[in-house]
Amino acid sequence: MNIGKNIAIFATTVVIIALAVWVYLGQLSATVADNLMTSMDEISRHDVETIEGSLSDSYARLSSVGERLHVYDVETIYEAQEQLNLEAASSALFNAIYLLSDTGDLYSSSYVRLDADQHLYDELFAEGRDQFVMLYEEENGKLETTKESLVYGIRIPEMTLDDVRFIALVGRTDLSSIRDQLLIESFGGEGVSSVVNAQGYYVVGASAATDLAGRNNFYDMLESGTIEGGVTVEDVRQNIAEGRSFVVNCTTAAGERLVLSFAPVEGTSWSFIMAVPMDVFDHRFAPFITMTAIMLVVVVVVLVGMMLVLFRFMKQSVQARAEASARTEFLSNMSHEIRTPLNGIIGLNHLMERHLDDREAMESYVHKLGRSVQYLLSLVNDILDVSKLQAGKVELMSAPFDLTAALENVCDMQRDPMEQKGINFELVEDIPQPHLIGDEVRISQVLMNILSNAVKFTPEDGTIAIEARQQFAPGQNRVLCEISIADTGCGMTPEFQKRIFETFSQERHTTSESQKGTGLGMAISHLLTEQMGGTLTVESEVGKGSCFRVAIPLPVDPKAPATAVLEAASVAGGADATLVAESKEAAACNDAPIAILVAEDNELNTEIIVSILSEEGYEVSTAENGQEAIEVFDQSPVGHFSAILMDAQMPVMDGYESARAIRKLHRSDAETVMIYACTASTFAEDRARALDAGMNDFLAKPLNVPIMLQKLESLRKGESHDQR
Amino acid sequence: MTSAEFPPTRSMTRRSALGLICMAAVGSSALLSSAGCTAAPAETSAEPVRLLVKVPRTGHDVVFDDSIDEVSQVIEAMARAFEAQSSTPVRVEVEVFEQNQYDDAIVNSFGGEHSVDLLYGDYFNMSTYIHTGHVVPLDDIISEEVRSDIPDLLWDLSTVEGKVYMMPYLARQNVLAYNKELFRQAGLDRFIREGAIQSWSVAEWEEVLDTLACELPEGTFPMMMYAASSQGDTHIMTLLRSHGSPFFDETGHFCLSQPEGVAALRQIQEGVERGWWPPHAENLEIEDCSSLFRNGQLAIYMLNNASVGRYGDSVGLVNFPGGEEDAGCSTMFVSGFEVFDGGDARKVQLGKDFIAFVYNSPDLMDYSAGTLSASRAVSQRHGNQIPYYDLFQSNRDRVVDFTGSNPDTRAVREIFHTVIRELLKGNITPEEAARQLDEQCNQAIDEGVKNSTLHA
Repeated sequence: MNIGKNIAIFATTVVIIALAVWVYLGQLSATVADNLMTSMDEISRHDVETIEGSLSDSYARLSSVGERLHVYDVETIYEAQEQLNLEAASSALFNAIYLLSDTGDLYSSSYVRLDADQHLYDELFAEGRDQFVMLYEEENGKLETTKESLVYGIRIPEMTLDDVRFIALVGRTDLSSIRDQLLIESFGGEGVSSVVNAQGYYVVGASAATDLAGRNNFYDMLESGTIEGGVTVEDVRQNIAEGRSFVVNCTTAAGERLVLSFAPVEGTSWSFIMAVPMDVFDHRFAPFITMTAIMLVVVVVVLVGMMLVLFRFMKQSVQARAEASARTEFLSNMSHEIRTPLNGIIGLNHLMERHLDDREAMESYVHKLGRSVQYLLSLVNDILDVSKLQAGKVELMSAPFDLTAALENVCDMQRDPMEQKGINFELVEDIPQPHLIGDEVRISQVLMNILSNAVKFTPEDGTIAIEARQQFAPGQNRVLCEISIADTGCGMTPEFQKRIFETFSQERHTTSESQKGTGLGMAISHLLTEQMGGTLTVESEVGKGSCFRVAIPLPVDPKAPATAVLEAASVAGGADATLVAESKEAAACNDAPIAILVAEDNELNTEIIVSILSEEGYEVSTAENGQEAIEVFDQSPVGHFSAILMDAQMPVMDGYESARAIRKLHRSDAETVMIYACTASTFAEDRARALDAGMNDFLAKPLNVPIMLQKLESLRKGESHDQR
Repeated sequence: MTSAEFPPTRSMTRRSALGLICMAAVGSSALLSSAGCTAAPAETSAEPVRLLVKVPRTGHDVVFDDSIDEVSQVIEAMARAFEAQSSTPVRVEVEVFEQNQYDDAIVNSFGGEHSVDLLYGDYFNMSTYIHTGHVVPLDDIISEEVRSDIPDLLWDLSTVEGKVYMMPYLARQNVLAYNKELFRQAGLDRFIREGAIQSWSVAEWEEVLDTLACELPEGTFPMMMYAASSQGDTHIMTLLRSHGSPFFDETGHFCLSQPEGVAALRQIQEGVERGWWPPHAENLEIEDCSSLFRNGQLAIYMLNNASVGRYGDSVGLVNFPGGEEDAGCSTMFVSGFEVFDGGDARKVQLGKDFIAFVYNSPDLMDYSAGTLSASRAVSQRHGNQIPYYDLFQSNRDRVVDFTGSNPDTRAVREIFHTVIRELLKGNITPEEAARQLDEQCNQAIDEGVKNSTLHA
């Protein structure tokens, strides 16, 4: 649906852009054409003025010849012809000059005399005309040339020679001698101007013909081609004859498309013609097309860029909203999950206050209170784990460990509950290479989560089967550890299987009484497995049970001794492993009191710890901050304190700084006294930070009292838990 | 059908025979085959080779075809006929140019899109191009039949260093013509003779001109003279032989500084004072003199065998003064073909094929019958119809070579008329004029020889 909508939006956008471009180019083309037509008009006007100026100059020069005839005071026709001969020879304009008598006789500068019946030039002065210019036509009288010529005529003040009255001068000019100065090119030589007379013969033009016999006719050119817009050659002829300015588009016989602009030349029957090939218009338009195309590409690129930015922004916004929603849901779930045990604790507290004297009821309440508190603690730990995993801030340990020992530890920890529920437990191990490198704690956590769930959801007389195998990759020092945990529990619906690894996912079973859990365990297991490069999958069927499969690739530890299973587990397993090991050892009691320094800024916590330790027979001193802890320790006799329980975050001086300072004290027990970091910050980096500060071990808050006592008991026995 | 089956006759005179030429060309192809040419039916599939034939705008009459008034029409017909029978696909374009634009049409076109492949023109203009190295010898296409059909005089004018570079098509013989009426007005009736080309001695010439100068009315002049431009100065060159000057020495150089040459120059200069020429003739063109003669204001003018007919019986003919034993001189303008090598061997061969085709096509050669055909066969077929044919044929012995076979005739002419102008204006003496003409014109000739490059 969205794709179709997007395509529709895209198509609409393209159509709108194409339409806009089409309209724009149309307007641009029209504007360019208008500009060119304006240019043509201006050039035409200028050229016409040039030609009219040239004609005026020619008239003036011819008039000057007449004036000089008076000046030279010629008395006979023959003398006048001689004078005209010299005038023509020295003139750059006229090749021949003629005197016209009032009877129509024409006397030339080359001594030719044409009688009135031999020419018609006298008639060109009819109707009071004072001057004329025309293309030479033999029909008007054959002059001494066969070349294309212009013939000018002007009236002059009457002069009488040999009893003949002369009234006008006529001048003849070879067109070839003046054509270049009249031929005007435009538009970079592509536009050609010409002048034709009313009969269509070129007065000025690009034609090479210089002889009357070779002259070309403009109308012939038009007739051999086609004129656009229904205009006929006769229309053009009539417009020229009527002295109109107009424009036509035509195609020549050679296929060249021309724009022809016509303008009359004043004082003549000529028409100035500017011929510009259509290609010129196209060429002038081409740069605009190119620029437009570039601009459009730029605009499109910018728009696409902006859309991409907008899309990313929207995507981020949606993602942010989704994350916010997820956070809200997470917090809602967390709130619900936390409030549940808190509600229990508050309720039990209330009941205990009312039944202080009822020892049996109090024992029950205290027992229930402990379970609620433990649940709350595990919930907080899980939440922290999930938060850290989702943020990608969990740093996995990479240390040698024994997979067999780790697996057995996990199983051992669940044996009691399984026995209590009468669950049959089967463990099949095929682990040829138990000595591996990895994060034993996290692997154990994954297995523990799965196994405890299996125990939780498997009914009495059910069965839990664990099968551990290894696959060796040929030529690589790695093994793929595959551990499956199958139960005959209630199983899961297919829908729940799809979201079992999501946070706070828990399928509600009305028949189960063992739904005590945070709903985060499987999410944590899944995230941890993935972070270790492995997979966690599940197959389940309602009513029949579930089977979880963990597959984690792990490098083989080439140095680990084959028999050091328990030792490795002890080192890697930390407090819990120590706890397991402790159960297998015989306790050796020592009744001598051990002095413990408790550095804790929280008064209640201090009171609880002091009470617990005092009840266990320890001599306890306290300090409210790190600085005071230093002072207390420094002022104590050497060897007095066996251990310091150091809170990490305290006013005045924190625990890390205090530990460093104690280690630097100049006394023999400064370096040997056991310092335990007691902090609610339980991440690996917090542990590493404590060890870096010179502390020996780590006790997470809330304190696991048995573990704490176990560690202190070890001191009493002279054992060390130094993890530095 | 062969050309021999429908020879043009007088009966065709009232209509154009050009349409028949193309049909005749089909028959001519068979004739070409027999002459050893490679003509065969044209292949139409291949892209035709473009052959550009250039021809100056020149009037032309044909005795049996009234539709012809320009020689370009004849060339066009030749082109179409050649296309129709060529074995190599060819498209012949005929381009007409103005007489005063030879160099633009020929030299300036070399190597370009309008580079000339074939030229039909006048020898005194065309001969220059032989020495550019672009004109190819044509000996290989001249069959014995064609060689024997054309007079040796024309072959000599067409030959440079033993190779024929131009193919003569027709010729015009120039003599002087006098206005009988003006002669009668001047009392020179005894110099009027019908049906003959006279030859007058120098003394007789002086008598005629002096008489005319004296007797003719104001505004009417005895004889043509002009020097405003290089156009049409042939007659002055011929007049300079009037006192026995050979004009060219045996090496082809001007030799006017010899007494005979100086005497002739002096007579021209004296003619100004004696009123023989129109006043200020240095400012006149041949067109001016033509107009004066046509208008009855000039007694003596130059005509050729083709143009004399326009004047009918009103004029008489006389040779230029001079020549051996004062027998008089005449000049001859020969027109014909040149083939140019523009770097495309196919075009060169097609150009030669074109000429071979024309000279082996009697129909096309017949179109030279309007003036003096270069072909004896055409003369035999149409001589009786060509005006004044017998008259000018009998005058052929008086023809002199006014070009002297020099390699750059037009450069010489550009110099020649400027010196004559100064002579007519009286700015230089006859001796100075002779020296300047010899020096400057011979330098131009030597430059022409030096720069001459004949086609390999």
